[in-house]
Amino acid sequence: MIAEEKLKILTESAKYDVSCSSSGSKRKNGGGIGNGYPAGCCHSFTPDGRCISLLKILLSNDCIFNCRYCPSRRDADCPRATATPEEVSELVIDFYKRNYIEGLFLSSAVHISPDETMEKLLLTVKKLRREYNFHGYIHLKGIPYADRALTEEAARYVDRMSYNLELPSEESLRLLAPQKSKEALLRPMKELQKSRLVFTAEKRKGLFLPAGQTTQLIVGASPETDGHILRLTQSLYRGIGLKRVYYSSYVPVVHDALLPEKPVGERREHRLYQADWLLRFYGFSAEEIVESGGNLSLELDPKCAWALRNMQIFPVEVNTAPLELLLRVPGIGARSAYKILEARRYTRLNFEHLAKMRVVLKRARHFVTAGGKFFGNANPAAVRGLLTAGEEKKNAEQLSLFSDAETALSAHTGEL
Amino acid sequence: MIYFYDGSRESFLTAFLLAYPDEEACLTSSGRQLAIGQQSIFVRADPERAKRAEKRLREIDPDCLDELDLMLRSGDRDKDRTLFEYFRLIAARGEPVRKMLAEDAVSAADECMRRITFEVHRFHGFLRFMESASGALYAPISPDHDICDLLVPHFRTRLPQYPFVIHDVKRKKAAVYDGSHTFLAPLEKAEVALSADEAEWQKLWRRYYASVNIPSRERLAQMRGYMPVRYWKFMPEK
Repeated sequence: MIAEEKLKILTESAKYDVSCSSSGSKRKNGGGIGNGYPAGCCHSFTPDGRCISLLKILLSNDCIFNCRYCPSRRDADCPRATATPEEVSELVIDFYKRNYIEGLFLSSAVHISPDETMEKLLLTVKKLRREYNFHGYIHLKGIPYADRALTEEAARYVDRMSYNLELPSEESLRLLAPQKSKEALLRPMKELQKSRLVFTAEKRKGLFLPAGQTTQLIVGASPETDGHILRLTQSLYRGIGLKRVYYSSYVPVVHDALLPEKPVGERREHRLYQADWLLRFYGFSAEEIVESGGNLSLELDPKCAWALRNMQIFPVEVNTAPLELLLRVPGIGARSAYKILEARRYTRLNFEHLAKMRVVLKRARHFVTAGGKFFGNANPAAVRGLLTAGEEKKNAEQLSLFSDAETALSAHTGEL
Repeated sequence: MIYFYDGSRESFLTAFLLAYPDEEACLTSSGRQLAIGQQSIFVRADPERAKRAEKRLREIDPDCLDELDLMLRSGDRDKDRTLFEYFRLIAARGEPVRKMLAEDAVSAADECMRRITFEVHRFHGFLRFMESASGALYAPISPDHDICDLLVPHFRTRLPQYPFVIHDVKRKKAAVYDGSHTFLAPLEKAEVALSADEAEWQKLWRRYYASVNIPSRERLAQMRGYMPVRYWKFMPEK
């Protein structure tokens, strides 16, 4: 059994990686323990609101690299630990059978050399799959600069692999992670994607990264705009076929003259995720969402902001609008759009029906008509005001007294 | 008229057949206060009547009987009304209605079923096994809906070598997998002798849970939203 202190060190070094999902793999239980869960499954939630799906640990936090944002970098004065493949395997099996976890997320600091580290990771996942007969989910972090043959072999055993780009531009990488380059991170992703396509095309036996690849970008440690980040994201989805891009707002765990002292507001991260969803599920392009040198609005969600810039399209009639257009209406999500399509085949829908289908009328009413009726405000400036007022109240980071008309009024009347 | 039924499928179908023509009918399976002057009858399951109702419903919409089985598991307070109105609409229209989502009866039934299947999904994650001295796994749960047997196929596929018991302590019953067969049994209380390592693994899990959290980003409301407090009781990390 792994020592408690070792588990603590290896977990704390891994926890800033935000990737958590266990979705996308239909791996079958081949007579041992475990199987895939295509929809993904959360097993617990921590007080920071994040889900625990996989056991997320490093094999070692003893690093030869010296990336300035990283708490495990070579020069950092921190406790070091290295686990053996046996310790990790045993931990996975015992946590898994108690239903604590959906599988393993294994990463490592670059210990001794990239190849040596990758070999050790490969050894661990092979042990789990072969000796322990484990068929649950495994997400393996790729080690940049490791030999391609090792990486491709690992891809045959795990469900998902990821390389973290971390910084959204070459310049920032050079400055903050001088031993990494954008090309060194993108190359293995492209190679894996190519091999995966060949593997599928040749209908070879077994699995090759059934849940694909993902990456992570740190937001706010470097000066890139949201426009830049979303264009990069879009090219990763379209060009390399990544399943997901994660965004991690920068948390200053390390003090360094080149890094900001203050954490980035979580609102920015939230807006990036909203925009990411628009790219993947709502048919938007990065160019529509934000101009290249610009940032997303913090007050308005990106769909509202887009709609307000394109008021000539609205209002749309919910009884006739095609799905693509319904999906672009603020307040109508993918689920309610589908419900509208089904329900309107039987009845002419009105606003009451929409409310029942969980359409958020507070936003949607300015952009739709139902049975020819319109209950919104036709003036874009007024709509912007109405929508931001609500947002600010809900998400305000710091409320000042009498900050909006309503509170000011209630202060006068004494009705709080 | 109020029609009491015992919560079983057969008795629901019997009561449904009786209540259907009655405009003022109300169906219920739980004790409730009667308003003065309200009449009520207790409907005993009648296999012949139930079969007739089932046959007719199957002709109209073969899938609606699975929906009935699912909704009968609901722990919602107004599930009887949801069920009755949904099946009344099916019978009245004479066609499948599940996509008429603008109808109150349909959206209520849709939500009712979603709550049950969602809870099954949640317990795929939130259920916690402990290892007994014999190696069999034991998990107590206290779900909103009557779902303990619905959890079995998932864990059986996943852990075929481990016999397990999923114990619904609220409804005092258990779904059991003995290594080859599964069955349901009444179970009041279980005395489980834990394996030698069980406490150590739970301790390691608690350590992991504490270590993976980022304290500077505390968002308790979000945590509780995703993992409601009522589920915490049997989770060693909480």
